[in-house]
Amino acid sequence: MIWPFEPFELAFMQRAALEILLLAPLAGLIGAQIVLRRLAFFTHAVGTATFPGLVVAGPAGISPALAALAAGGVFATALARLGRVRGLGREAATALLLVAALGIGIVLASDVFGSGSGVDRLLFGSLLAIGGEELQATAIALVVSLVAVAVWRRTWIASGFDPGAQAALGLRVRIADWALVAVIAIGVIAAVDAVGALLVSAILVIPAATARLFARSVRSLEVGAGTLALAEGFAGLLLAFELDVPPGAAIAVLGGLGFALCATVVALRGRPAGEARA
Amino acid sequence: MLDLLTDPFAGEIGQRALAEVVLLGLACGPLGVWVVLLRHAYAAESIAHATLPGLVVASLVGAPLLLGAAAGLIIAATVIALAGREQRIGADTAVAVAVTTLFGAGVILAQSPEVPARLGELLFGDPLSVTGPEIAVAGALAFVVVVGLACLHRPLALASFDPEAARSLGAKGGRAELALLLLLAGSTLVAVGALGNLLAVALTVGPGASALLLAERLRLSLIIAAALAVAAGVAGLFVSYYLDVAAGASIALAAVGIFGVAALIRHLRRRRHGLRPRQSVLRPLLR
Amino acid sequence: MSALISMHGLGGGYAPGTDAISGVRAEVEAGQTVAILGPNGGGKTTLFRALLGELDHRTGEVELRARVAYVPQTERARLDFPVTALDVAAMGTYAETPWYRRLGEPSLRRAREALGAVGLENSEGVLFGELSGGQRQRVLIARALARDARILLLDEPFGGLDQTSAQSLHEVLLGLREDGCALLIATHDIHDARGFDRVLCLNRRQIAYGAPETVLDAPTLERTYGGEIITLPGGERAVVVGHHSH
Repeated sequence: MIWPFEPFELAFMQRAALEILLLAPLAGLIGAQIVLRRLAFFTHAVGTATFPGLVVAGPAGISPALAALAAGGVFATALARLGRVRGLGREAATALLLVAALGIGIVLASDVFGSGSGVDRLLFGSLLAIGGEELQATAIALVVSLVAVAVWRRTWIASGFDPGAQAALGLRVRIADWALVAVIAIGVIAAVDAVGALLVSAILVIPAATARLFARSVRSLEVGAGTLALAEGFAGLLLAFELDVPPGAAIAVLGGLGFALCATVVALRGRPAGEARA
Repeated sequence: MLDLLTDPFAGEIGQRALAEVVLLGLACGPLGVWVVLLRHAYAAESIAHATLPGLVVASLVGAPLLLGAAAGLIIAATVIALAGREQRIGADTAVAVAVTTLFGAGVILAQSPEVPARLGELLFGDPLSVTGPEIAVAGALAFVVVVGLACLHRPLALASFDPEAARSLGAKGGRAELALLLLLAGSTLVAVGALGNLLAVALTVGPGASALLLAERLRLSLIIAAALAVAAGVAGLFVSYYLDVAAGASIALAAVGIFGVAALIRHLRRRRHGLRPRQSVLRPLLR
Repeated sequence: MSALISMHGLGGGYAPGTDAISGVRAEVEAGQTVAILGPNGGGKTTLFRALLGELDHRTGEVELRARVAYVPQTERARLDFPVTALDVAAMGTYAETPWYRRLGEPSLRRAREALGAVGLENSEGVLFGELSGGQRQRVLIARALARDARILLLDEPFGGLDQTSAQSLHEVLLGLREDGCALLIATHDIHDARGFDRVLCLNRRQIAYGAPETVLDAPTLERTYGGEIITLPGGERAVVVGHHSH
């Protein structure tokens, strides 16, 4: 077995590792909010929605991050608008827009631009081919998110805990809500570079969900999620390198197995206490 | 002129594709109405995603794809059910974890050089490559779904319009929803073959949501949904033929387009009656 | 002594031109408890919103000489959030703590004092979801107290509580009353309302306001709830909702 650190002497592996390092705080801070507020489907949908943007970015000569941001923004706006249609429901609206985004992306990819090959990378990430530009974009995303977290973290916690926080506490919940949506979109776009449009949950949801099983405070949830994201990210990266598989998928599978393991532990641990109480 | 309408379906491939989308539409349309009413759209979408590793494994070992997808689905459903029971996680997150993991597993497996079907086909489907036996399966599915929905009609209606009453009346409501999810899983399995992993949900949610927007009464909306789903399939085939665009994507976009038209019609109707929606823009997103 | 709350012809609603409530006129002194009685949809929540300044369209006058805080029903808060009783109480201080400042000692002290005022000083480290229903309701009251609010609007705080919890909650409210807080409590329990200082009957418009002995008679209750009053065995009175829907 090759000593784990050898691959990291390669330049592209170092860049990939740096990307993971930059994404970890996002996974911790934003992932915590996503899991606490049940926004996993929304996050996945925003990720998928960036697909058409990514498809046109190359041929149109715009930065993928910007294109993804635009696509994500269009999606979130459309979703907010669609969500007002009575009788539809947030879930159905999300599913519809998600499918629309995918369909448009597929049409653009295979028929308009005649390139079917890039689709895989867009869908499942190109962590091993991360360049300086993408790292910069991720760093900017991280800084912006950190600022937003610093400003609104308490409001998010208070309003997530009690939707009536505006009435009860006099907090400016509406602005905070917009900020959260924006930050999730930014986090998604940062993650899309690494793990692809369809697997953003591998970074933003799975580590936080795993940490949630044990966390007894929001702070410990954030720290746990960030640490797990770091560990799973590096491990997935190594695995992808050794086995020549898409890194996003490797991270996702590792994350899922980690979650399954922890969930089993929690379930087994829970039973004796339950029986004692009964 | 008539040629324009019949050309896409002149050959055997076109005819089979037509049969497939018609049968699928009959099954998925009415199902979609219930999916939207009972707020299971996320489950519908995730079920489709979760079939990927099963599909890949099946094509690896040369087993019928349907079997592989079914196996993957059972695993996913089990994981979701177990994880969703953990209160701290909730169903939404549990589904995200399960589906993302399974999807990732599918992608990794698909890298194996022995996989005959390209990942792209599994993801995006190809109604034009549907075979005779697959049409037979679709026909059987449509029959089962229509009959099943007829039997489940009353308990499902109760569950969607008065969940309190349904709960107090006992397990009947819960079992009906479970049966609905099983029907949904079945139709997803078949739809995945034609529309692919990623787009299968289009034929379910799109026409179902459209029908609910257009029709006030439940029974009418079920019929409209079936009609719209078939229309989306046929329209998609037309677009695919004449514009040389991927068939699966065309059908999905047709379904979404039909929804857009339905939403517009409804908006105009409400505007005419002076009704205006009053709701915070963001609340639907976050609450 | 000027009242903590003065309302003159207070009304308002959610859409221009349509008033959900109207004609509310009352003065509430410090240390007074007021029961807000009325059917569902009769405007209790709207009244609270009007007092909080949250109503889109408000008519009439209202004067508040102390800070107001709203205490929701405990069901609306998420039981699965990893927050302790102290965390929740401390949320009351969030609005005044600018984002660039950490929650300092003064805030935590206020939160602890608030928990003490509701009798939960020994439970500050317990997760919110692990507390009993009554304890959770008290934590939400502590959150309002930590805001330095002297006017508390409570939304059916006794709903779903068992006898013991209701008793503890009752004692806490009495303590707050003694402290000089004004408490407005929306409730469905007519029997309970007899123990309050004042009763306000609200069914889209104010039906009555005054001491319970004068207000809680059959005709007033009938006008409030729109139904017949029957007397249950044991002397309790109960309202039967009539055929008129509101």
